Amino acid sequence: MIYNTVTTTLRQSIRLAGLRTSPAFLAAFGVLLITVIALFTAPYIGMADNGDYFRNIYSNGLYFSQPDYDSQYFGYFVKHFGIYQYFNENGATLDSSQSIFIKLAIGLNKLLFSSTVFDIRFQAAIYTLLYVLAVYLLVEAITCRMTRKQGMLCALVAVFVFGDTGYTAYFNSFYSESIVLIMMLYVFAAWLLLYRKRYNDYFLLALFLISGLLLTTSKQQNAPVGIILAVLGIMLFWVRRDRIFRGLTLISLILLMTSGVLTYLNISKEFVNINQYHAMTRGVLKDSANPETSLKSFGIDEQYAILKNNIYYEQYGTVDVNSPLLEKEFYSKYGFVSILKYYLANPDQFSSILDVAAQSAFTIKPAAMGNYEQSAGMDFRAQSHFFALYSLLKGILAPKTFGFILLWMALVIGLYMPSFIQALKARDPRGMQRMALIVASMAVGLSGIMVSIIGAGDADISKHEFLFTLAFDLVSVLAVSGVIGRRVSGSREPAAGVAPRMQKVQKGVSA
Amino acid sequence: MSSCRRNLLLPLLLMALLLLPAAPAGATGQASAEQPRVLLLYDSLASGTPRGGNIPELQRQLAAYHMQVTLISLNHYEQGAMKGFSNVITVINDRELAVSKAAEEDIAGYKGQYLHVGYNPPDVMKQAMKLNTGMIAEESAKLTFGLFREESLMLRQVPYIAASSAERAYGSLSLTGSGTEVPYAVSSGRFTYVPYLEAGNAGKLAMLEVLKDWLGAGAPAQTYLVIKEIYPFSDLALLEELAGRLYEAGVPFIASVRPVFSNTDFPAMQRYLEALKAVQSKNGSILVNAPVVMPSINSSDLTLNGKMNSFLNLLADNGIAPLGMGADISWTYDKEYAAAGMSFFDSVVLFQDEDVIHREETNVSTAFASSLYSVTPEFLSGLKHEGKAVPQLPADTAVTVNLPEDKAGLEALLQTVNSYWITFADYKQTGHKVVTDTYTVDSAGGVIRVNGSPINVDYMPEAVSSDFEYQEEQYQSFKALFSVQNKFFIVVIAVALLLFGVLLTVGYRLYRKKY
Repeated sequence: MIYNTVTTTLRQSIRLAGLRTSPAFLAAFGVLLITVIALFTAPYIGMADNGDYFRNIYSNGLYFSQPDYDSQYFGYFVKHFGIYQYFNENGATLDSSQSIFIKLAIGLNKLLFSSTVFDIRFQAAIYTLLYVLAVYLLVEAITCRMTRKQGMLCALVAVFVFGDTGYTAYFNSFYSESIVLIMMLYVFAAWLLLYRKRYNDYFLLALFLISGLLLTTSKQQNAPVGIILAVLGIMLFWVRRDRIFRGLTLISLILLMTSGVLTYLNISKEFVNINQYHAMTRGVLKDSANPETSLKSFGIDEQYAILKNNIYYEQYGTVDVNSPLLEKEFYSKYGFVSILKYYLANPDQFSSILDVAAQSAFTIKPAAMGNYEQSAGMDFRAQSHFFALYSLLKGILAPKTFGFILLWMALVIGLYMPSFIQALKARDPRGMQRMALIVASMAVGLSGIMVSIIGAGDADISKHEFLFTLAFDLVSVLAVSGVIGRRVSGSREPAAGVAPRMQKVQKGVSA
Repeated sequence: MSSCRRNLLLPLLLMALLLLPAAPAGATGQASAEQPRVLLLYDSLASGTPRGGNIPELQRQLAAYHMQVTLISLNHYEQGAMKGFSNVITVINDRELAVSKAAEEDIAGYKGQYLHVGYNPPDVMKQAMKLNTGMIAEESAKLTFGLFREESLMLRQVPYIAASSAERAYGSLSLTGSGTEVPYAVSSGRFTYVPYLEAGNAGKLAMLEVLKDWLGAGAPAQTYLVIKEIYPFSDLALLEELAGRLYEAGVPFIASVRPVFSNTDFPAMQRYLEALKAVQSKNGSILVNAPVVMPSINSSDLTLNGKMNSFLNLLADNGIAPLGMGADISWTYDKEYAAAGMSFFDSVVLFQDEDVIHREETNVSTAFASSLYSVTPEFLSGLKHEGKAVPQLPADTAVTVNLPEDKAGLEALLQTVNSYWITFADYKQTGHKVVTDTYTVDSAGGVIRVNGSPINVDYMPEAVSSDFEYQEEQYQSFKALFSVQNKFFIVVIAVALLLFGVLLTVGYRLYRKKY
């Protein structure tokens, strides 16, 4: 086999603006440049509020300060909010790791800008810096064993995908997707770097743990993420032989599992009415051949069949989603577990709703929310197309069936299987990490789809499936980079320490 | 009648006849030209004080007398704005505030009826009525009004009429500490003064009486029983039972039913319609309740009119005759809701606001020919009165109750209704009109007509089958073509098989001949 790589790729770089630049630096700089232009120069790009903000901001000491805020729901991005000057009587309505970042941004805002007005761009600045660092680590993990040319090509692919404003527009919003995006990148990068044996293993384990915890607790729907990371992360246990590392790995996995379980328990408590409403009207009842029978199976009055396909966001309706009547006769009769059981008992219906879910599984930026401020003079719900080619193409070109998702999973796993088997035969636990990471990412993505369907039916699905679309992109970028590096199977660079075993040739190929 | 008057009357009648056809067909009761327009000025909403809520209360009371109200904060009052109004009310809720200079000058020159509520009546009024006011620091009092009274009222920082030369006094306020008895309100010429209006006690009713006189609403008032919170997923059997029990007790009632805009062909909807038919047959009049407005305000949603029209048509298609609408008062202060949602009706029951979500808020209300003032059973129970029966209320009133949740609630409701000793009026005895794109429903003298023909409200229960095809069959493109194609291939294959068989036979014979 011919290895189209060199051993000294870490030092390989090109001159950019007079500086010697690695692919990781190029990717990070590219993403930074694009994000700064998009989020910090007029017209500012952000996300309009779909009604979720109040849950995130009031408990953190912010409030809607604009008198016409209500008229901007869904349509326009708002960048200024009020900071509570007196005692905040709003208890935490949501226990999310997002609060840490909001509070940090408020502190920075008070220090540099105002103690009464909060500019959301301070939060965007924090997210951007974290994100750029995550992109750096990710591209470093992907390209650290590649030739210069291959590395640069992969860096461009990474910029094309992760610089897309479909992703970064979330930074100028209070949606927890920002944390999901950044932390998922860190988890992926940390695990991949462990596989590459790049940087210190202990540092990477710490990074994996912290980002995994922040990711799991960022959103109630992410409860399975902690559990998946804890289960598949067991593979990390054998990466090193020393007791300290193994002990720390075990503690990390227990912490991740605990955070997942605690977040799940929080779901049961905080399964908000809108989502619970949609879970039934846009989920169970949606494709049910007989909604009355379905309702009876939950012990709900069959008359509620009238709510089939109803959506909270319709302006005029029959019943208030928060009415005591629904609380007593409807919501109290079902929950996350009973809906899961229902789908397991009705696989046909589950399969058909999975196809519905697949329709939106490749959307990064939901069309329902506008990206511009009202003052920018754009239409209500106007979407920005600045550096959004990837999200646009992905939304248009990806085959939107669950079958395709299964096919993609089979293809990627098939591609990496030989290298995994090789590592298994060689009893090289570090070499097995890539497959574990890919399977974990896929499982995390699938959990995003499942939780969306069970938790809120097909309503808001393109936003709820963010985790899948992100996992898809991470795994796909890794696979494409593998193809670019011609090292998808069997040619893994096992670790820096064992490099001599796999001697590189053709140094001059990409020179 | 003098010849001068006759000369004036004739052109007026002719003008009225000419203008009559110009009224919009659907909005028959809304803001007709002859209705007096009332300007309601206020200094503050007094939220969090005992006077909080008195402005919305006044809005509801004025609506009950079919007034079109223009609500303006004194801060935004522009000089000369009173000219276009037949009646003006100013409410001063804060004792530190007074009528603005511009408004005071206008009041001095104003020719219409002026009513002042609360603190600091204008000087011109004080002079005209020789009005002298005092201040109750903190004292308990008894308010007596006609046959109603409320005892042990706790008044704090409330002005009272110490002396006046007014021609007419309304009710009396007895201060228990000092033993002083003062009028609740006074009126003289174009001025009327009500020093005290706090929501939640007999003062509301006293105000209603003052307004009746002030606005010259002389028609005798009726009291109706309204049942609301009726959903398609309410206990429909309980609803029918309640209707039956009220019918047996000789109590006519109004059911304000929640509209349904989707899945109206489902068996569940058919069961809902059947229940409403049963209600109608038990002397129940049907009102359509305003739909729930979701908080996600979407300025591009223009579906309200179409949705309401469809639901009204659906009711009429099924022999159910809606006679009006039940809505929160805020709906009459919203251009979109009034134009798109209420324009079908000339009759409404206006409830107290619960969750206010405006679409296109306006400060000018829409008035209706028939508009019931809604009160709760708790409000009625809180009133003390002479005699066993609740005396007649000043305005057309709807005693509004929620549909009970269970049998115990039903029994309690019936007991409460009986305890009032009120003769509830039959809604369809008076004129109401609902106009959709297909139907005109109207009532008068107990008869309901749909497109001019009286409807039979008798009801024969019909079982609703649960067999329903919820999932539409998948549309198959070129179904006929594929069908022909299938037949064609069957023939081709059959012929081919036959031919193959023949050839096989011929071949076998040739083989046999050869060997």
